[in-house]
Amino acid sequence: MTAAIATMGSTEKPLARRRTRTANRRLLPWLYLSPVIATFIVWIYWPLIDAFRLSFYQWDMLPTSPIVPVGWTNYINIFSLPKFWQALGNTGWYIAGLLPLAVALPLAIAIFTADLPPRARMVYRGIIFVPMIVAPVVAAAIWRWLLDPGHGMVNMMMRDFGFRPLRFLQDPNLALWTIVVLTGWKLIGFSTLILSAANANINPSLIEAARMDGASKWEIIRDIRLPLLSSTVLFLVMMTILLGAQWSFSYINVLTGGGPLGSSTNIYYVLWDFGFSSLSVGWSSAAAVILFLGFGALAFVLFRLIDKVSFHDN
Amino acid sequence: MNRRTLLSAGVSLALGALALPAFAFAGDIPAKVEAPVTISYYNYNLATAGIGGEATKKLIAEFEAANPNIKVNGVGVTSAEISTRVQADVAAGRGPDVAQMVFSDFDFMVHNLGAVALEDIIPTAELKAHFEGISPKGLALGVYEGKTYGLAYTFSTPVLFYNADLFRKAGLDPENPPKTWAEVKVAAKAIVDKAGAEGIATGIFGPSAGDWLFQGLIRSNGASVLSKDRKTLTFASAEGIEAVSMLQDLYKSGVYSNLDISAAMDAMAAGTVGMYLQTSAVQGYLVKGAKGNFELRASTMPRFGDKPVRPNNSGSALVIMSHDPVKQRAAWELMKFMTSKHAYTVITSQIGYLPLRTDIVNDPQYLGEWVKDHPLIQPNLQQLAVLEPWESFPGANYRQIVKTMMDGAEQAVFGGGDPAKAMKDAQANAQKLMPAAMN
Repeated sequence: MTAAIATMGSTEKPLARRRTRTANRRLLPWLYLSPVIATFIVWIYWPLIDAFRLSFYQWDMLPTSPIVPVGWTNYINIFSLPKFWQALGNTGWYIAGLLPLAVALPLAIAIFTADLPPRARMVYRGIIFVPMIVAPVVAAAIWRWLLDPGHGMVNMMMRDFGFRPLRFLQDPNLALWTIVVLTGWKLIGFSTLILSAANANINPSLIEAARMDGASKWEIIRDIRLPLLSSTVLFLVMMTILLGAQWSFSYINVLTGGGPLGSSTNIYYVLWDFGFSSLSVGWSSAAAVILFLGFGALAFVLFRLIDKVSFHDN
Repeated sequence: MNRRTLLSAGVSLALGALALPAFAFAGDIPAKVEAPVTISYYNYNLATAGIGGEATKKLIAEFEAANPNIKVNGVGVTSAEISTRVQADVAAGRGPDVAQMVFSDFDFMVHNLGAVALEDIIPTAELKAHFEGISPKGLALGVYEGKTYGLAYTFSTPVLFYNADLFRKAGLDPENPPKTWAEVKVAAKAIVDKAGAEGIATGIFGPSAGDWLFQGLIRSNGASVLSKDRKTLTFASAEGIEAVSMLQDLYKSGVYSNLDISAAMDAMAAGTVGMYLQTSAVQGYLVKGAKGNFELRASTMPRFGDKPVRPNNSGSALVIMSHDPVKQRAAWELMKFMTSKHAYTVITSQIGYLPLRTDIVNDPQYLGEWVKDHPLIQPNLQQLAVLEPWESFPGANYRQIVKTMMDGAEQAVFGGGDPAKAMKDAQANAQKLMPAAMN
């Protein structure tokens, strides 16, 4: 069309032609962006706004049921759940418990396996990575058998060594930590993989130079490797804080159902349990909004922190 | 899928969206299914591996053989999820034609999911003929606001299973199992002290337990969960608190183990628990574990002092969800078959539920021989005579109410605090979720 206008309008003033061209130039990027923008609006922003709207209604998704506006009732209901506050506290414990397993341990493994001979390193990291590819529900079912207080292998071994059997999933003081370990057990492989890649990416000449200057192994780790790994480490820390409690969901669902006495529940499980299991759109949307705002604020702070703290090679 | 089923699916979709049960009237449906029709049947036994699923598949196959025009599309959904699934599918405009619905969702099913009352679609004479021989208490379970919305299908009563070998080891008489909670405490203590096993486990608490056992427990002490006008929650009454305090006392004295549902069942089947209060539906599993290991026996649910035991049922009813007359007829035929003498023989003897038709118990053509060989069914049958309906909570938040109540009761029993406070807090929180609070 531009060409047609151009040939037909050859007698017109060049100014008009230029104006059409600049208008086109201004429109074209939007044209190219439009599929993405449309997708974002349809799949992300519109549902987000709709969730805000629905959180003020009571509805069970049935076409025959009325959509009743209830004001802030859904939020009040959620905040007055005794379990909500317990779950919020537990979420903090989940994150605190997962950080060493999802960040510190993999960091150590990544650094210390880096010097192994290639074949041994592959085998070693392969073994660590395997739990990652086991489906969570399958893993949970297997752990349930292993941890059974009566006839589970873990407890049988503990008994052989003269310890009293532990009720890993039934004791309110242990259940949360059991699930933390199971979640961490699956995450170690993933974090190790990422940290190994980052570690292998460190320019070897830096390490060579340090060695020539007489730095010990520990000094190389402390002064070269760790600072250069800091952005990856911070990324993993942020992932764990924002998503760690979510990763334990399937274990909670299969193994404890949040119990005993709500000791192993977390914010995601409680909100899912009270909202989604009965398709209460109002409860679920209010829960989603609370999570969105809460973790949004947390993510904002973390991003600012990462920008400040992390150290880049060049 | 051929064109006819597509067409009929479309018709039923349109009807489902438009028609409300109130518009249907008696005798609306054809007397017979003349042309081939497919109906969908949501069933939770189909979702279980092993004997329950196999027996249900067999029954469906027999029904199809007897009714060549009706094809049944059996869909297995677990009991905890079946209402959510029906709700989701109804919301999507493709609900089931017949569903096996858990009793605690009854209020919601009638008021929100559009369950069809049998009196509205089935000719009175036909209905009466089919109800002949059904236990009146069993029939009453499916009646809501004066109409029959469901026929009790797989349902059971709470049974106190006990390990007769552990009883002997503890110096107890297996011929005289404990009948009251006070006796349960004494027996459990003896089992812990002398037999070195766990005293008692129950299926009252836990994520998948629901509230059916709990309702029977506090009702037996004279409490109820809901006032007569269905507006006020009453589970934290003095009697209700007394009932949970009794459990707390059992727990504190170290004879009541707080095991989760499957762990308790495993432990009982493995012979490491003396007594186990749970639905009779787990009987098949326990019998398998006990075989060659220990002697499994059963008694009725314990009572409080000299108050009568007032258990309610667990389990489900069959409900017609379709609004298409032809499919309603097909659904009714399936319902009749599934609640027939033959079907109940299979359901009772192979899955472990109660026979809704008590006249087949002594009939040698049906359960006669089997009952003689299986004394475990006796307490279950005895309780059928005193069975009361499982209350379902009203309103859109009915599930949240159950959860709040059960969380409070669990806290009262195992939490170590004051049971009265835990129960009262839970009741106050749950009352806010009742529909009256919305208006």
